[in-house]
Amino acid sequence: MKTTTLIAAAAATVLTLGGVSACGSSSSDSGSGSGGTVASGLIFGGPAEFKTRTDGIPGLQKTYGVKFAKYTVTDTGGPVTVGALKRGQIDAADLFTTDPSIEANDFVVLEDPKSNFKAQNIVPIINKTKATDGTKQVLNAIQAKLTTDGLGALLDKIQNDKEDPDAVAKEWLDDQDLDGAGTLAKGVSLTVGSANFPENVVLADIYADALSNQGATVTKKLNIGSREKYYPALKSGSLDLFPEYTGTILAYLDATSTVSTPDDVYAALAKALPANLVALDKADAEDSDAVVVTKQTAEKYDLKSIADLARTAK
Amino acid sequence: MIGSVLGWLLDPEHWRSTPFDTGIWAQLGAHVGFTLIALAIAVLLALPAGLVIGHTGRGSWLVSAANAVRALPTVGVLVLLVVVISPHFYGRTNAGFLIPTEIVLVVLAVPPILSNAYAGVQNVPPQVRDAAFGMGMTGPQVLGRVELPNALPLIFSGFRSAMLQVIATATIASYVTLGGLGRFIYDGLAQKDYPQMIGGAVLVAALALISDLLVALVQRYAVSRGVSRRFRTDTGPDSRTAVLVEEDVR
Amino acid sequence: MSVDVLPLDASSSPLAFWSYFLDHRSTDLGWLWDHTWLSVVPVVVGLVLALPLGWLARRHAWVYPPMMSVTGLLYTIPSIALFVLIPPLFGLSVLSPLQVPIALSVYSTSLLVRVVADGLAAVPSETVQAATALGYRPLARFTRVELPIAVPVITAGLRVAIVANVSIVAVAGTIGLDNLGRLFDQGFTLSVNEPYYPPIVLGIVLCVLLALVLDAVVLVVDRLLTPWRRAVAAR
Repeated sequence: MKTTTLIAAAAATVLTLGGVSACGSSSSDSGSGSGGTVASGLIFGGPAEFKTRTDGIPGLQKTYGVKFAKYTVTDTGGPVTVGALKRGQIDAADLFTTDPSIEANDFVVLEDPKSNFKAQNIVPIINKTKATDGTKQVLNAIQAKLTTDGLGALLDKIQNDKEDPDAVAKEWLDDQDLDGAGTLAKGVSLTVGSANFPENVVLADIYADALSNQGATVTKKLNIGSREKYYPALKSGSLDLFPEYTGTILAYLDATSTVSTPDDVYAALAKALPANLVALDKADAEDSDAVVVTKQTAEKYDLKSIADLARTAK
Repeated sequence: MIGSVLGWLLDPEHWRSTPFDTGIWAQLGAHVGFTLIALAIAVLLALPAGLVIGHTGRGSWLVSAANAVRALPTVGVLVLLVVVISPHFYGRTNAGFLIPTEIVLVVLAVPPILSNAYAGVQNVPPQVRDAAFGMGMTGPQVLGRVELPNALPLIFSGFRSAMLQVIATATIASYVTLGGLGRFIYDGLAQKDYPQMIGGAVLVAALALISDLLVALVQRYAVSRGVSRRFRTDTGPDSRTAVLVEEDVR
Repeated sequence: MSVDVLPLDASSSPLAFWSYFLDHRSTDLGWLWDHTWLSVVPVVVGLVLALPLGWLARRHAWVYPPMMSVTGLLYTIPSIALFVLIPPLFGLSVLSPLQVPIALSVYSTSLLVRVVADGLAAVPSETVQAATALGYRPLARFTRVELPIAVPVITAGLRVAIVANVSIVAVAGTIGLDNLGRLFDQGFTLSVNEPYYPPIVLGIVLCVLLALVLDAVVLVVDRLLTPWRRAVAAR
């Protein structure tokens, strides 16, 4: 029986030890705020890359002098970030402006008057050999109709009503009178890709469906994952068309770029793309990073812009 | 590549924690913490159950049932539990993610410990058991003084198998935002910081190897020499083949 | 966990996974196929590599301890760590789709080397001697006498390897590789505001079914390869 007692004793010790070390990461947060800025009492949550990206944490500090108490790695504008913000595990988060959960949870998007975040207009990146006048015409007609609010509405259907992205895409094309059949893209065969988040998927569906209505032979390769995975495929020609965001693709191609207005970013992107890829027209629709807080936090500290986070806390 | 990974691992900055970056020491502590909690709970649940089932021979369906659980995809169960449990926790706590993770880890650790404890007792030669009863020992005495020591090699191999699975799976806790060494793998991937990603992987592998060695050492001293000698001439089961013991159970 | 978190009538109910499957059949079946070959191919590769290695370990006693140490060591490396370590070691790109089958082949091989070696060791020495006396050369003796007798032990190992693979492949879904693990990612993403169970439950159901089917296939192969066991049982 000695062994059993030993095992029980060891288990008890282990439980105590384990409990301490597992919770240690979360126990030492707030409290450092007294006397400092608003931000120095807040915990920020976002994707891991936001911590090191030039317009992420370093950018917020450089542009606004905002320094948070702590950074918690959550996910890229997904359920973990939204849930953590909603339930108070974090106080401020990096979310995307089109995200319907911002409205659904009464979150407040802080303004970015000094344009820390790069413009993120939606732009189709296409292989030069597939960019015929016809395909350009089809895609640019779509680009002209894409708005930030319209995009938010599409996302709402996917995320909250659980509609299928492809059905949502067809419905949108129909609403915009862009679903006409024709021969503009006849003879072109191309593979459309998308990253693995709903908005990017629905954009790829919109492009693909419109092109196939216009006679193109379209293969869809959606939900490919992260940019590290799909960009090489795009560059090497195994993908021909991809919905992108001007700011992020520019930052991926040229990490040192500091431009931030829509036109500057678009111009810089045109230069940064390799010779076999072209960017078609950018849409008005933007889906950019934003610093988001809950309504309670915004009211408590009277926050309207990111700059307010650098004020001295009362 | 190897040089830059070594560089990442040897940089003392990476071992310390700052408000923005949790260092290697802290993540190692969290990883070991998750593992110990899960193993402690699993041992408390599975070891007595396995011993009693093996001793009485009743309820062996429980062992088969626990083994069927192996077919469950761990990531899927983790995501499901997070979606169900995490909305119920508010404020500065990661309990909403910690509890699902621990449940998954315990579910992983129970089958090898349970089936090996059961098989260990079952495999005790009947002559030995009969001799113990013949000496006037009671049922619990036979279990505690004869069957348990004889079953120890198998119990240890079940424990080692469980421990390795738990250490490996604790990495995916990082997928649902908890700490642990997996953080470096997922963050390195997101930040395109491949030395960090590979460094994290090396650390997890090293933790698994060192833990296995430590338990092997404990096993050497805990298992009676009379028992272990027999197992040394045999091809005794190790952490890999421990899982195969279940096949004899049916 | 209270009952109200599981709305059983809505389309987000856990039980709605079947209609979810019907709505997304082509994608889901594609992932099921990816998942299947990712689980099966490594076991086949593992077996092909483990047979000669296991045979070597049996034939030359001095090979056995170092071979078991090396393969045992490989088996302790956590899967996600191995997925990530494979590309630099093999000179692949960081997110190459080959990393999963290679990593799983490493596990399957290291598990099966031990199983094959021990399975061969369990062949009664009288049987081996009898075969030798009947004039079998070593290779023929191995393939026609020792190996068939070791089949039950080897297939037991194959079952463990294949069921484990189904679960490990899903882990690769969390680093963006295509398989049923993507359903978990998807369900998680759609659970932003309230829980959305169908893809998650569908993923679990398909993984369990796949594991059961593959396990059954190995069992059937085992029965076909060992007719004498049925003969003995029938007597």
